[in-house]
Order: sequence, then structure tokens, then C-alpha cells
Amino acid sequence: MLNFARFVATRAVFAMLTLVIVSLVVFSLMEFVPGDCAERYLAFKNTQGSGISVADIEAERVRLGLDRPFLERWSKWIVNAFQGEFGESCILRVNIAQLMGDKFWISLGLCLASLALAYAIALPVGIIAAASQNAVLNNSLRLFSYLGLALPNFLLALMIMLFSTVYFGDTLTGLFSAEYRDADWSWGRMKDLLSNAWLPIFILGWSATAFALQTVRALMSDEIGKLYVTAASARGVHGRRLLWNYPARHALGPIINSLGFDLNRIFNELPIVALILTLTEAGALLIEALARSNDQQLAGAIIFLLTASIVSLNFLTDVMLAVLDPRVRKSIVR
Amino acid sequence: MTTTPDPLQPNLAETTGPHVQVVETEDAVQRRSKEAYFTASQGQLIWARFKKQRSAMVAACVLAFLILTGLFAPFLSPYNPTIAGKNDDYTNGAPQVPMFCDDNGCSLRPFVHAVERERSLETNFRWVTTVNEDERNYVYFFVEGWEYKLFGFIPMDTHLFGTQEGFVHVFGTDASGKDIFSRTFHAIWTSLQVGTIGVFIAFVLALVIGGVSGYYGGWIDSVLQMITDAVRTVPAIPLFMAVAAFMPPELSAEERFFYISLILGLIGWPTLARRVRTHLLTERNQEYVLAAQLCGASSGHVIRRHLLPSFTSYIIVDLVISFPYMVLSETALSFIGLGLKDPVNSLGVMLQNVTSADVLLNYQWYFIPVIFFIALVMAFVFVGDGLRDAADPYSDNNK
Repeated sequence: MLNFARFVATRAVFAMLTLVIVSLVVFSLMEFVPGDCAERYLAFKNTQGSGISVADIEAERVRLGLDRPFLERWSKWIVNAFQGEFGESCILRVNIAQLMGDKFWISLGLCLASLALAYAIALPVGIIAAASQNAVLNNSLRLFSYLGLALPNFLLALMIMLFSTVYFGDTLTGLFSAEYRDADWSWGRMKDLLSNAWLPIFILGWSATAFALQTVRALMSDEIGKLYVTAASARGVHGRRLLWNYPARHALGPIINSLGFDLNRIFNELPIVALILTLTEAGALLIEALARSNDQQLAGAIIFLLTASIVSLNFLTDVMLAVLDPRVRKSIVR
Repeated sequence: MTTTPDPLQPNLAETTGPHVQVVETEDAVQRRSKEAYFTASQGQLIWARFKKQRSAMVAACVLAFLILTGLFAPFLSPYNPTIAGKNDDYTNGAPQVPMFCDDNGCSLRPFVHAVERERSLETNFRWVTTVNEDERNYVYFFVEGWEYKLFGFIPMDTHLFGTQEGFVHVFGTDASGKDIFSRTFHAIWTSLQVGTIGVFIAFVLALVIGGVSGYYGGWIDSVLQMITDAVRTVPAIPLFMAVAAFMPPELSAEERFFYISLILGLIGWPTLARRVRTHLLTERNQEYVLAAQLCGASSGHVIRRHLLPSFTSYIIVDLVISFPYMVLSETALSFIGLGLKDPVNSLGVMLQNVTSADVLLNYQWYFIPVIFFIALVMAFVFVGDGLRDAADPYSDNNK
């Protein structure tokens, strides 16, 4: 038990360390943006009619603490970031935590749901495909997997929207109906979200499913050829019991390990799908911050949060693997 | 038949000479094929295994075709793909498919019907284009048209096809009257170029970082791996977006193009670096490395002359596999509006053009470049997969 606690602690430290490196990368990127927060804010004020001077910018810089050395500001930023505090948005002048509200959690929920969808489809289908010798099934699955990569999500989204506009007269965009958009959380709002969320979940899960299918199938067909499977079938185990109890359990480890990368891939598609479906969540906010207003504080916060959720998922899968897989468990406890 | 010998099926006439009549015993044939197999270079072995995969070969043909169309894009394009080649008389025009027969009879030379554009009281003073079924514009081959430089330095003005009078837009035209057929092929070429430069930059970075990490091992390896892993955890597209957003808006089209390639390369290296490191870690404990070291070879010499050549073929495979991701990233960036912008013809820009509702409902031929895009990515993925299977000496055992 003590060993296990030590294992979890090391993993947690590693996750933290990764986050610190990531924060350094993100923070330096934010520094590279031409012009800093003070200039941007005052330039905005300038357009509103109040003239500003270089002295004003300097004063604003001091007020925001931008005159401090890089390391000091970075350490302050990272300490605050771990407490969920990202300061104020450069342009909107609103606290970022407040601006994000539950938008980030909605995005994360969407992504996790599509990840779950992907594996709910990929696990059974992949295992069956690996076990069957049916060439047609295998080839069509292979084609589907490649299509998942080559047919970009936004195209799929466009086609579904076109179809639904022409045949149902509904564009299927957005996450909330008009009456629930700014309402407080309630059962009705939840139901409304769920009734609108299936499309983004499906589209985000589309290529994730294709990738997951390929992973599951490859791992399973590797395991099925091994001797312990032959031995088990020689002992009379057959059919579904053979598949699920022998090769599937072996293949489970790498699959759980790849969850973090799958989430990474889904996050990649989030902003684009958000743009097409005009969702109002973190992905859309990221595009808003980057493409339209160059708001480095907001963009940095979102990228950091996305990465943090991937790192946490990786940490969770590591621990989960240690609990589920006796081989890993033994190697820790020993 | 002077192609590279197939190590799996050696050509007996070549090995023994055509004038010698040798009766080969079964045993000798087998031995010879084994000999050819064991003396074949890594490249020959991979090629021999690659040829056996039907889907990969088909994909390779498609890929070669697409690359060639990209290379000869100006020659294939009847019209200038930039705003200079726009056709004011045929904006948002439907594709014109060359035909041989119409109501007025058949002709051996393909033709398209002439299009007239008029504005009058009957049309409510809006421009209306009508197809004149009675007037034919014949399509000729090797006609002279807009001037271009083939491969960037041979000045030419001959094009594969075109018309003497009127115009032919095989894939239709876009909102400003630019020929979509011409734009598509130029777009393929631009995207391939962006991908190539991106892969190249990523590759050099990966080689240096992965090489140092794998060769020295120890704490250097641990630190470098930690950084690589951390960079790998950050979702790439948001990171791309963040870097691309810093692009000064006053850049010209060419500078933008190089900037985008640079970004793709600077962010794409971690996966490749990891593979290079894994290869190096397994190779550096081999005897030939120890032998070279004992002879007093420097580290740089060992890496360059002994280690890298030992897995060049694997690196090439990795490069092919990572290529479609570069193209996809470019597309995604351009699609969001942070990558290349409209006057430039890239696949991402072409995809961005299909997103308006107007296009979806009325001008579906904007989708034609999308088909080429999907074909290109699919071909790359199939070829990459085929190469990976071919490069893996153990892949035969699984089948």
C-alpha cells in the first residue's frame, strides 16, 4: 500500500513537472507576441477618443507588473494558474476565470463524451474485426479509419448541416436554445444542452473513433496470434470468453495508455468544430482570443487549461493501469 | 528490364549471362534467391515488400499522379489561377464538361457550349448567364495562353488544353471568376510545398534533438525526453493558432507562406524526435558502434557515418507518415483564417471557400478541390502505412 502511494506521488510530481514546462512554453509564447497587454489596452482606449502618451503606457505597465523580470512574472503566473487564477483578459478587462465561467467545463465535457463515444464504438467493433478473418469487413474498417483522418471534421459538420437545413429546416448550430442561453443551470437547461450537444459530440468523435478503431484492431490482432491464446483455446475456451478474457485483457493496457493522446487529438479539432457549429464554449473563445483580438492572456489560459486536462487524464490513466493491470501492480509493489 | 533486381525473385539470365545455358536445380534456385535476399540492401528489401501490397501500390500511383499534376500545374491550367486570370463574364459559373455530341450532331473534337451574359429589362437588370446550345467553343490541345515559368525557370506559354474563342472552365469558376480547375492544381502544389518545408524543418530539429538524446542517454536523455513529452502534450492546433496569431499582419503572401511552414516545422518535431531517439537507443549498443568508438571515431562521426545510415529507410518512412499531418495542419490553420489567405492557392484556402451557405446550396462545384484534398491525404496515409509495413522486417509474421 505504501509502495502504491509512493507510485501515485511520483506520478503526480511528474505531472506537475510537465505542467510547469508547458507553462514555460506557453508563457514564453505569450511574451513573444508583439506588443504587450498595456500597449494593447491603451491602444484600445485610444480608439475610444482618449489620447494616450508613452508615459501612460509605462504607467500601465508598472500597474500590471509588466516591468518585472521574466522569471518573476512567470513564477507568479504559474503559481496563480495552479489555483485557477489567470488574471485579467488583455482586451476585455474581465477576470478570465469569470469570462470562462462554465465554458471550459462544457468543452471538456463535450470532448470527454466524444472520447467515450469513440471507445464505446471502437472497442467491440475493433475486437470483432481483429478476431474475424472476414476480408471485406477488415478492409472496409481500414478504409473507414483512413477516411476518419482524411475527411476533416469540419467537412463532415458542413455536410450534416447542409442535409439538415435542406430536409429539416434546422441548422443544428449552437449549444443552447435561445431561452436557455444565459439562464442559470437547471434541469431544463441541462436537457436543452444534451439535446443540442449530440452533433458536436458525434463530429468530434468521428475521427477519434477511426483512430481508436485502428489502435484496438492492431493491438488485438497482435495479441490474438500469441501462444497463450492458442493454449487457452486448446484447453477448450472458445468464442467470446476466449476473446474477452485473454487477448482483450492484454490489449487493454496500451489502449488505456493512449487515452491521453486521443484527448489531445480531440482538443485539436475543438476550435474548428466550434467555429463551424457556432458553439459558445472554450474552443470558440480561443479562436476569438487568437484570431480576432490577439488576447495573449486569455489564449495562454485556455491552452494551459487544455493541456492541464490532458496531463490529468494521463495521470489518471497511469493510476488506473496500476490498479487494473496486475503486471504493472506487481512491478510497483515489489 | 533493367530495373533494380528483385531480391526475392532474382533474374537468372542477369546473374548468369544470357549465353550460358544453365540447368538450375530446385536447390540452386532456392539458394540463389536466398543469396539475393541476404545481400539485398535495405532499400531493395523495402521496395520488394512494398510492391506486394496492392492498396499501397494503387495509393502510390495516385500520389505520384497528384504530385505530377502539382508540378506541372501551370501547364495543365488553362487559366491563370490568380486574380489576373479571372473571367468577368463567368463568375460563380457551373463546370463546363467538354462533350462530343449535342442536338446539332457530333464532332470528333470535344467542345463546350458558349455562354452569354446579358442584362436587360427582361432579366430585371441583373446579370444573367445563359448557355447558347447552338454555338460551340472547340477545345484544342497545346494552345498558347498565359505566360508562366515551368519549374520556376523555363518560360512557356503552352497549355495542355484551351479554346480559341470563348472559354472552358472544367471545374467551374468561383465568385471572382477564377478558374477552379487551375486553382486546384496550384493549391495541391502549394500545400505540398508547405508540407515539405514543414517536414524538413521538423526533421532537422528531430534529428538533432532525438540524436543527442538517444546517443548520449543518461540525464541528457531524461531531460530532453521530459521536454519533448511536455511539448507533445500541448494540443497542436491551439498551439499553432497561438503562434500563427503572432504573425505580423503586413506580411506578403510569400512571407506568410514561409512563416506558416516554419511554424508547422517548429511544432511538429516531437513525434519524429522520439522515433529517432528510439532507433538510436537500440542501435547504439550494437557491436559496430563499439568498434568505431574503439577506433577513436568522434561522437559526431559515429552518429553521422554509422548510426544514421543504419536507419535511413525508417526515417524516410516516418517522414512520409508525418506528411499528411502537416498538410492537414496547414488546412486547419488556413481554414480558421490564421494560415494562408485567399489570393494564395492552397488546399486550406480552397476548403475555406466551401463553408458559406451560398456555396452549400447553390455552387456545389466549389467542393471539387475537396475531393482532391481527400485523395491526397488518403494516398499519403496508404503509402505511409504500406512503407511502414514494408520497412518492418517482422510484419510478414503477422500475416
